[in-house]
Amino acid sequence: MRSRIGVYICSCGTNISENLDIDQLVRFSSGLENVAYVKTHALLCSEDGKSHISDDIIKEKPDRVVIVACTPKEHEKTFRNVLQKAGINPYLFQMVNVREQVAWVTADKQTATEKAKAYIRAAVRRVALHEPLEKREIDCNPDVLVIGAGPAGMEAALTLAKAGRKVFLVEKNSFIGGRVARYEEVFPKLECASCMLEPKMDEMLHHENIELLTNSEVREVLGFLGNFVARIQKKAGFVDREKCLGCGACYEQCPVTVRNEFDYNLSDRKAIYVPYTGALPNVPVIDTKNCLRFGDSGSSTYREAYELGLITLEEYEMFRNQDCSKCRDACSFDAINYEDTDEIVERNIGGIVVATGFDLFDPSVLSQFGYGSIPEVYTSLEFERILAQTGPTGGKLLMANQKEPRSVAIIHCVGSRDRNNKEYCSAVCCLYALKYAHMIEKHAPEVKVYDIYADWCVPGKDNQEFLDSVAGWKNLHFIHTKLPMNIAIQQADSTIALSCVDLAGKKQEFSADMVVLCPAMIPAKDASALSDILLISRGKDGFFTEGHTKLAPVSTNIEGIFIAGCAQGPKDIQSSVAQASAAAGQLLSLLVPGRKLELDVITAEIDEKACAECRICIGLCPYKAIVLDREKKVAVVNTVLCKGCGTCVAACPSGSAKSRHFTTQQIFAEIEEVLK
Amino acid sequence: MKDFEPRIIGFLCNWCSYAGADAAGSARKIYPPNVKVIRVMCTGRIDPQFVLKAFQSGADGVLILGCHPGDCHYKEGNYNALRRFHLLRTMLAQFGIEKDRVRLDWVSASEAEKFVATVNDMVKKVKILGPLRKTAVA
Repeated sequence: MRSRIGVYICSCGTNISENLDIDQLVRFSSGLENVAYVKTHALLCSEDGKSHISDDIIKEKPDRVVIVACTPKEHEKTFRNVLQKAGINPYLFQMVNVREQVAWVTADKQTATEKAKAYIRAAVRRVALHEPLEKREIDCNPDVLVIGAGPAGMEAALTLAKAGRKVFLVEKNSFIGGRVARYEEVFPKLECASCMLEPKMDEMLHHENIELLTNSEVREVLGFLGNFVARIQKKAGFVDREKCLGCGACYEQCPVTVRNEFDYNLSDRKAIYVPYTGALPNVPVIDTKNCLRFGDSGSSTYREAYELGLITLEEYEMFRNQDCSKCRDACSFDAINYEDTDEIVERNIGGIVVATGFDLFDPSVLSQFGYGSIPEVYTSLEFERILAQTGPTGGKLLMANQKEPRSVAIIHCVGSRDRNNKEYCSAVCCLYALKYAHMIEKHAPEVKVYDIYADWCVPGKDNQEFLDSVAGWKNLHFIHTKLPMNIAIQQADSTIALSCVDLAGKKQEFSADMVVLCPAMIPAKDASALSDILLISRGKDGFFTEGHTKLAPVSTNIEGIFIAGCAQGPKDIQSSVAQASAAAGQLLSLLVPGRKLELDVITAEIDEKACAECRICIGLCPYKAIVLDREKKVAVVNTVLCKGCGTCVAACPSGSAKSRHFTTQQIFAEIEEVLK
Repeated sequence: MKDFEPRIIGFLCNWCSYAGADAAGSARKIYPPNVKVIRVMCTGRIDPQFVLKAFQSGADGVLILGCHPGDCHYKEGNYNALRRFHLLRTMLAQFGIEKDRVRLDWVSASEAEKFVATVNDMVKKVKILGPLRKTAVA
């Protein structure tokens, strides 16, 4: 292959010339095949050096260029730009690193010069094999899908919407606000949670750029950065959001009563319901499983309802095989439509924010805590509802028997920081435990509180002060144990007996009427299904994996898909919202209306003729950039997603996969030349 | 055998180890010139054929340096490299190529010291082994 290669050797002031014999290198390079000319310069990366190269290229008309200078990590881009401007494809170029990896590290000048010769020989041979690569651009859709309408999802949606982006906010529940909708107060300022959240919710609900899809779940996502299509299942709610005023007349009439999962089954609700007073959107939904009209009429629910005295025998008989329409009859606005059906809607978007939040570790698997067997043992989320004015007790600190407890024990680290369960610290439990101490004290100052902890985790600027604020409280007893996992909790006659060994090795025994467990935060239940749909990776604890712990904390392995809040890992509201802003910011800079997406040029490609459809590459690609074309029976690289690592190329048994700019031939040429 | 200067190819990934080698340069750490570096974007790109090609072309050793486990710029390219490396070493042994002639190690962008130590150690070990092609030694 004949080509006309221009070689430029830089002295880098004296950095290179001090330890390399430049004249020798010029003579050596001139003698290499395809080298048309060799030029030297004192500092190629300077303005003078760059114009020297471009003037020279216009005069000498090389078709390829080798620059012998510093590390490509420093100036490869610089010189590519120079070549581009001078009319040479920037990939018909190879850089030889004789500064960092030769001149500066080799003991004597002659040895260094010989080593540089080997590298120049390799570069000259390699560059002759280079192919011109063209910058590629694709159109992108700037709209965004946000999954999860908790504080993080809402923040991301609002940030994007305010910038004029269309946002589709998908929430599987009938209400927005996520877990925080269940809280009465939030640490460390003991601020009212709904006062904090509601203005945001209102703003979100009324924003013209946000389409909120409640009772909805993402079922399928196809495509890639800038060009995704999401198929979303909108479940039938049977109440028209436009017509409904949220007056509540319908649920007052509903004859069915079941447990309310919003309150973790500590309260009742009807089959047509809003989960709590003040839920937004204030539109009830029909729970078809328990509704007389939709439910299986032979189901035990109604019999149970009758047996529990929730409905009369007459009502039970009447509705068992009939269509109940009490809610529709009660509605003066014709908002209830029994014909409503699930529908699948499609939305085109350019990027996605996943903000699916968290669940709690199930403490019933650790029998020592008595959860599930001792009635007055609660999880922290259940306790949040007990403290909430919209909750089962109207915000009064009451046990199931409607009496006030004389004492409450709060246990940290349930299932956390333990090799056999969850190894991590959830970062918020210590703080909400302190919040409980404050709230209990406010409700009933005479209630004794036992706080059983292993270590205090109160980082940040306000939290130490929050811990210090309870110092010296006479009814608050701290018990410092090695790890609360070793605690024993048993039902005594009318109270609960607790015992543990404190840090001094002393056995502590005490009793409490109520026990609150602070279990580890774990990923939301549907994280695994969602990772299958979106192809985003999860780490060993099931949280979605960020691109880089420090430098890419909200990106994922799939370009264009970002994570925020507890979907990425346990954290407080503040950090969740900050991540949501970060994810929105990433998308704002990645997808700009009217601007095309510039794609990497160093990507893999697969030769259709040689591909044997073995699919090894498909499984190996960390970016899910390779798919099978079922018609052609070949693997195809999506060059929008490919990052050019070359893992698929090294694995391809048929040799049909190729790394642009790092082809096997190019690397073989380098191997041969440096060894000559 | 004292004058034997081994020829070693070093495949370095762009993100960690090549930067680590650059860092050794910036720190002006002197090391033997025997290892000739070939930059790849990721150790995952290293086809076992590259190693065979190197031996076939006269290399006495091959050094593969990549990002530490968990730090791969491409998430898991280095794990693929590790798996291939173990298979390859097994195969090379069957050809009579000693296992010390191929080495896979992790060098981060900041580990100038480790890069130099690894090169020194590799050169030392291959020197002891002698040339791969015994006939090539006069």
